[in-house]
Formats: sequence, structure tokens, C-alpha cells
Amino acid sequence: MLTDLRMILRETAPAHELDEQQRAEVARLLENLERQVGSLKQEMLK
Amino acid sequence: MKCGNGIETRQVNELFINIDPIQAGGRLTGDAIKAIIAYCDGYSVCDNCRKPNRLDCIAKPPIAEFHKDVAAWLNMDAARMMPGARRGFQAVAHTYVNRGDPVLLTSLSHYTEFLAVEGAGGVACEIPADERHLVTPDAAAAKIEKVVHKFKKAPVLALIDHVDYQYGNLHDVAGIAKVAHEYDVPVLCNGAYTVGIMPVNGKALGADFVVGSGHKSMAAPAPSGVLAATAERAKEVFRTTAIEGDVTGRKFGIKEPEMMGCTLMGATLVGMMASFPHVKERVKHFDRELENNRVVTEALLSIDGTKILSEYPRKHTLTRVDTTGSFDKVAESHKKKGFYFSSALNDKGIFGLIPGATRVWKFNTYGMTAKQARYLADAFIAVAQENGVLVKS
Repeated sequence: MLTDLRMILRETAPAHELDEQQRAEVARLLENLERQVGSLKQEMLK
Repeated sequence: MKCGNGIETRQVNELFINIDPIQAGGRLTGDAIKAIIAYCDGYSVCDNCRKPNRLDCIAKPPIAEFHKDVAAWLNMDAARMMPGARRGFQAVAHTYVNRGDPVLLTSLSHYTEFLAVEGAGGVACEIPADERHLVTPDAAAAKIEKVVHKFKKAPVLALIDHVDYQYGNLHDVAGIAKVAHEYDVPVLCNGAYTVGIMPVNGKALGADFVVGSGHKSMAAPAPSGVLAATAERAKEVFRTTAIEGDVTGRKFGIKEPEMMGCTLMGATLVGMMASFPHVKERVKHFDRELENNRVVTEALLSIDGTKILSEYPRKHTLTRVDTTGSFDKVAESHKKKGFYFSSALNDKGIFGLIPGATRVWKFNTYGMTAKQARYLADAFIAVAQENGVLVKS
């Protein structure tokens, strides 16, 4: 997911002005990332 | 942020539009970045290495299939992945060149082609490019005749750049190969700037060998590349070992001496493999890349005193520019001297111009989006206007 975000940064450099589709993709990736971080907290810090 | 002792995290391609001529085609795909993280350990691709114990025979991950796919994609009969295009030149030169043998290169050949010839003991015989900076079949024929006259034999090998690194010009490899084959000279097509960038058909080019660069043009980590050969030549350059230890009697199976056994292991290979589906797709859309390049070159040509030194209209995205009559004039009186130009571009989010260069320089638009190409074009015009250089409408 971090790599997918990285690729969007590359495609939109240098201004990083995201179009609607890119914004939706970033929102989806960040939601997934938050979920994954939550899982990692539960698994590794239990 | 650091990712190791003294190693800064690199964010060039995330923060800037990168126009460095050698970096454009080697930027990794997302899949390649994920693959190299997963296969970061040294012998990571060797978990399932079984007899006959050679890299290009490994089925999982699908390395054997990848080798076949790459050969077919280049319309050649066999391929090996290499640690860089230069190792491909070296393997071929070492196979065919003996001490004192004449070898055809061109006046635009990359230095690693010269080193490969030197390492094998050959003598460099350059085909001169013409006034358009193109290497032609007629010039190749004339050079071969000169070589035959001087050495009393034809060259033993020809290394011909498909697109050269100096001008990014597309040379008539098919025409040159036809001439070379009339003298039984095997031809290596150096596709370091074309394999993975635009369609390459080795047999249509008449090449005995096609060499590509993974890190230059196949969205792969360095050092990586490919050496592909026809079936006839594959038997020679990919011959298997015959050596035997005189004490132990050991033999080494199907290992290939020119490949030094296994070639490209671990992260570099899986990075190349992960990018390959994307690379196969992107070469079909090279017209879009040329359109992006056209937007930028037209902007540069609108700046008074600027010349495109590469063939024009462009057939490749690597382009050589002469701004002696424009940006260099500003440098004469600017407080930052020639450094103002790269500095101004950096301020606009553009990276890759050699700091201080204001006369003759190169850029590459490969892999940009149309929006980024427009941005780059506008940035060149803005730097010109900000510094009082006339821009034609």
C-alpha cells in the first residue's frame, strides 16, 4: 500500500495535484493502511 | 530521513520530474518495488533450485518461463539475464574476439562496448556517423572494406547501437546487419535505449544478438540486463562448461562459462520479472512517449537561440539540446553563472540536468504523464522568460 501511494506521488510530481480518481484511490489505500496498522498492533503488541 | 548509516532516503522521483537521460526508463514499477522488498535476501530466488541447478532453469518463481518469454518478446531464440548490458557485450566479445582481431563499433558507441572489445584483445574499428549523427549501411560497408584492406580479414564482430546514448538517434541496424552479414560478420544490436522502451524485433533487425539494459530501459534495479541470441549463436555464446578438475575430476554440469554460471540472482532478477508485464505493455504505446517529447522539444525550440541536435522530428525520447544561444548567454552575466539554470529548474520541481550545464545537454521525457510533459515544457519557457530570453509565440 505504501508502494502504491509512492507510485501516485511519482505520477503527480512535482505539484501532487490529484484528480478525482487519484484522490479516491489514495483514500482507499489510506483506509486499508489504517486497517492493516490496526491488525499489526493487535498481533504484535498483544 | 535516513535508511542506513549515512544513507539518505531517496525521494527524487516522488518530489521531482526527473529528466536525467539515463534514468527515465529504469524507474521501477510498483510491482517491481514490492517484489524486491519480498526477495531482498541474497539467494532469495534459489529456494527451489533443483537439478540441473542453473538460474534460468528455476521454475518457482517462474524464472525459466521468464527467460523464454523475454527471448520470444525480442523475437530471438534464447535469452539470459545479465548484470547489465555491458556484461552482454563482454560475453559476446569474449566468445568471438581474439587478440588483434578487428571489431566494428561506431563513432557513437558506448564506452562499455569499447571496453568489452579491449578486454578480449580486439582492435576498435569505428564506423563514422554522418553529419546528421546517423550511422548508415553505406558507411558500414565502406568501413568493412577498409578493415579488410588493413587487416586482410573481415571484422569478427559488429556492435551496433540501435539508439545511441549521445543523440538518442535511431540507426538503421537492419541495413547495417545486411551489409555485415555479406562479410559473415555477426551483429550485436545494442538495445540499451530501446529494449523495454519501444518495440524491438531482433530477427527483423537481422541481429545475431540483442542486448538490453534492465536498469536503463526495463524498469528494473541495477545492475540488470538481457542478452538474447539466435539459435545458431546461442550454441556458441551460451555453450556449456567442459572443464574437469585434474585432482578431483569434478565437472560442472550445464553451467555456461560466459555467464560464469548463474547470472542475475535475487532482487534484481525478480524486479525485472515483476516489471516485465508492464514493460511489454508500455512499448506498445511508444507513440504517446514521442508525443510528450514533441511537446517539450517544441517548447525548447520556441526559445530563441535553442537548437535540437538530435534528429528531428524525434524518433526517441532521449534528446540532445544546444542552448549556447539562449540559456548560456544568461549564464555569462548571472550571479550564479551556469548554475542558475539547473537551480531554477530545481526550484520548479525538475531534476536531472547536470548542475552548471547551459550549452549542450541531454534530457529524456520517457515515462512522463502528458501533464508532466506540459509542466516541463512550461518550466523551460518560464525560466527563459524570467531571464530575459526571447520566447517565440
